Amino acid sequence: MNGHFYRALDETLYTGRLKNGLTVKVVPRPGFTRKTAYLVTDYGSIHQDFLLEGRQYHTPAGIAHFLEHKMFELPGRDVSAEFAALGANVNAFTSYDMTAYYFSCTDRFEENLRLLLEFVSTPYFPEESVRREVGIIEQEIAMYEDSPDRVYESLMSAMYREHPIRVPILGTRESIREITTELLKVCHRAFYTPANMILCVVGDADPEEVARIAGQVLGDEEKPAGVKLRPWREDMTCQGDPEHGRMELSMPCFQLGFKCEDPGTGEASVRQEVIGDLAAEALFGESSRLYLELYEQGLIDSSFGGGFDSADGCALLTCGGDSDHAEAVRDAVLARAAVLAAEGIPPEDFLRMKRSALGRRIRDLDSFDSTCFRLCAYHLSGFDYFRFPSVYAAVTEAEIREFLGRVARKERCALSVIDPM
Amino acid sequence: MIQVFTLSPGVTLRCHTDRRFRQGCLSFQLVRPMDGKEAAMNALLPAVLLRGSARYPDLRHITLRLDDLYGASVGTMVRRVGDYQTTGLYCGFMEDRFALEGDRILLPMLDFLRELLLNPALEGNAFRREYVRSEKKNLISAIESERNDKRVYAGSRLLKNMCKADSFGIPRLGETEWTAKITPSALYRHYRRILRESRTELFYVGSADPEGIARALQTRLAEIDRCYVNLPAQTPFHDAGGSSETEEMETSQSQLCLGFTTSITNQSPQFAAMQVFNTLFGAGMTSKLFLNVREKLSLCYSIGSGYYGAKGILTVSAGIDAAQEERTRTEILRQLQACQTGDITPEELTAAREAVLASLRTIHDSPGAIEGYYATAALSGAERTPEVYRAQVEAVTAEDVIAAAATVKPHSDFFLKGVGA
Repeated sequence: MNGHFYRALDETLYTGRLKNGLTVKVVPRPGFTRKTAYLVTDYGSIHQDFLLEGRQYHTPAGIAHFLEHKMFELPGRDVSAEFAALGANVNAFTSYDMTAYYFSCTDRFEENLRLLLEFVSTPYFPEESVRREVGIIEQEIAMYEDSPDRVYESLMSAMYREHPIRVPILGTRESIREITTELLKVCHRAFYTPANMILCVVGDADPEEVARIAGQVLGDEEKPAGVKLRPWREDMTCQGDPEHGRMELSMPCFQLGFKCEDPGTGEASVRQEVIGDLAAEALFGESSRLYLELYEQGLIDSSFGGGFDSADGCALLTCGGDSDHAEAVRDAVLARAAVLAAEGIPPEDFLRMKRSALGRRIRDLDSFDSTCFRLCAYHLSGFDYFRFPSVYAAVTEAEIREFLGRVARKERCALSVIDPM
Repeated sequence: MIQVFTLSPGVTLRCHTDRRFRQGCLSFQLVRPMDGKEAAMNALLPAVLLRGSARYPDLRHITLRLDDLYGASVGTMVRRVGDYQTTGLYCGFMEDRFALEGDRILLPMLDFLRELLLNPALEGNAFRREYVRSEKKNLISAIESERNDKRVYAGSRLLKNMCKADSFGIPRLGETEWTAKITPSALYRHYRRILRESRTELFYVGSADPEGIARALQTRLAEIDRCYVNLPAQTPFHDAGGSSETEEMETSQSQLCLGFTTSITNQSPQFAAMQVFNTLFGAGMTSKLFLNVREKLSLCYSIGSGYYGAKGILTVSAGIDAAQEERTRTEILRQLQACQTGDITPEELTAAREAVLASLRTIHDSPGAIEGYYATAALSGAERTPEVYRAQVEAVTAEDVIAAAATVKPHSDFFLKGVGA
């Protein structure tokens, strides 16, 4: 494990790669009782197509999330109960392009770490329990259908013609019925191999010990991961707005999205993300002119917010919230973007924006979960997260202008709205 | 650990000095009796204060100032603590040591807080009409948006029904009709009065010297012409009898909420046992409800119980298919009965006790959690340090849990019946 001290953040990060291919990152935090570990696989809901052992697979929508649910069972053992007995809080989530398993504890960290590594690396999916899971996930889908968050999914399916970000992470009631024990095993073999994963620990832990335990539980053998297929072709245009949805709501809500180029990987992708974030701040952030105008006109309220999002193979600028006049908000965003792209941002404002964004990121390091999550997510994009101050320092105002001029355009945008019944 | 200063009659500052964090926080709360006559005004007030002051006349000037302070944040804070409602502001800010050479954040932040609290934007002898009008609209949409989250909505309908004669049934943010009636001058009069009369609680977490913070705040708040009026003590639950109600809504999923009462409150010696019982029964992935109602019978995705120690109320809610109401209800009651008759394994007891202990141990690992625990404990009438409370939880036995479970009696239920979206 190699240590590096980041002066601007007052943080030390140890990084290593084990014989089996697992990347390990440890941020020691002496003086804290809490210890948090994330074990993340570079595999999410959009990776439905892949090659494994010479065979091509097209798996049902929602299988990555289904697999995440089913990992919590070991033969004759209840994983959650074992964590609980060790005083840890365990959970997991599936996003478009990653699946994360994590726990926090105060004592018996090493036992908890062993258990995390063990259960995530053990495929055990009895038929009967796979069938039962369908009922549980159906209720999760029903819960989501009743939630205004679905305005985001409807935006994704309107913006993207082919990229699987257009498919809900949970899948559909139909697709999850196609999931079998056999398919779950295939996906596990393809993507839960150490070389496709990262382990990150934040807390008062010994980096060498973490690496040693991971090697012991997972073994030394490096197995190849499945090869993700990315059969989609997307251009930068949208095909119009989706029809307004309807549900039991107190007032209409909306999400507005602008398609951006795939940021790729490595430092260039992180630079794109910072440009996207700062452009979002300049365009509709809380200290922007537009935010004040829209707020004062009552077109938006404090639920309004947005930013730059990306997943494997795609990126977008979004904003949304509650509003009775979503179309008017969209028109104002487009008009303001054109002005900013033409006139630019005064140097003093640009510096202030950067200082603010940097300050918020530094404050965010107090959160163990957020730090673990970001270290993993950025690693999967090929970047060392703790280098973010240097990216902020390097980004120029001209890049923000260019971004807004290129991205915040009518043909790249779609608007998703849900109206009350 | 906590240093307490009395800045003026009824104005208390509590300081938790901690050098481990990258950010500090400061909360300012006026403590009011929860009362329908003023609940909406108390909820509205901080939102209006955050719209503009004499020196920072609008939202944009406020957010630009926060950007200057390295992305500091100021938010409204309206809490319910038993029979009290608190209203005020919460500030989060980066520690001075991470700022560029020569920049200071903490003292300018205190000046800024003073400006927002004591120097609001006025029109004659009232708050600015426009700010009050639009924040009333925002508050009303916040109150009504509770309906958007069906689980929260059903849970609060249940509590309202259970607490017809208790302040606990008054919604934290008040009701729409109460909000609609507020005028800019009445709100201003109310503000002047509660600033003078209310018990006031300030809480600081950060690296600065507490004496210095006390002096700095004392000077900045000195102009308030205090006339402290004692706050009534917390009271036990005023029970006006139970009720059973079903409401239909066009949703995919139904929400079943069951309400129970117990004689054990946060003032009781058995409080720790009650919390362990609640965790064992319905909180988290190892609880009886999760393992049986969800995992074994696959009736739901989300299920959980909550214990309100201020009043001795326990609620259970589950998101289910409408046809499964009776089955779910029967199973929930069966699990309660299992606790009451002593069907508790040593593993379940350990897991529940450890979960409560872990949450107590990690309080000191985040500024927000420290503020939340101590600032609330100081008002609840049951002030225990996490250390004292930990010892009580560690001592809880199976007999204690069974005895706590035995005090739980069914009171009311609310069924939000989904009739298909």
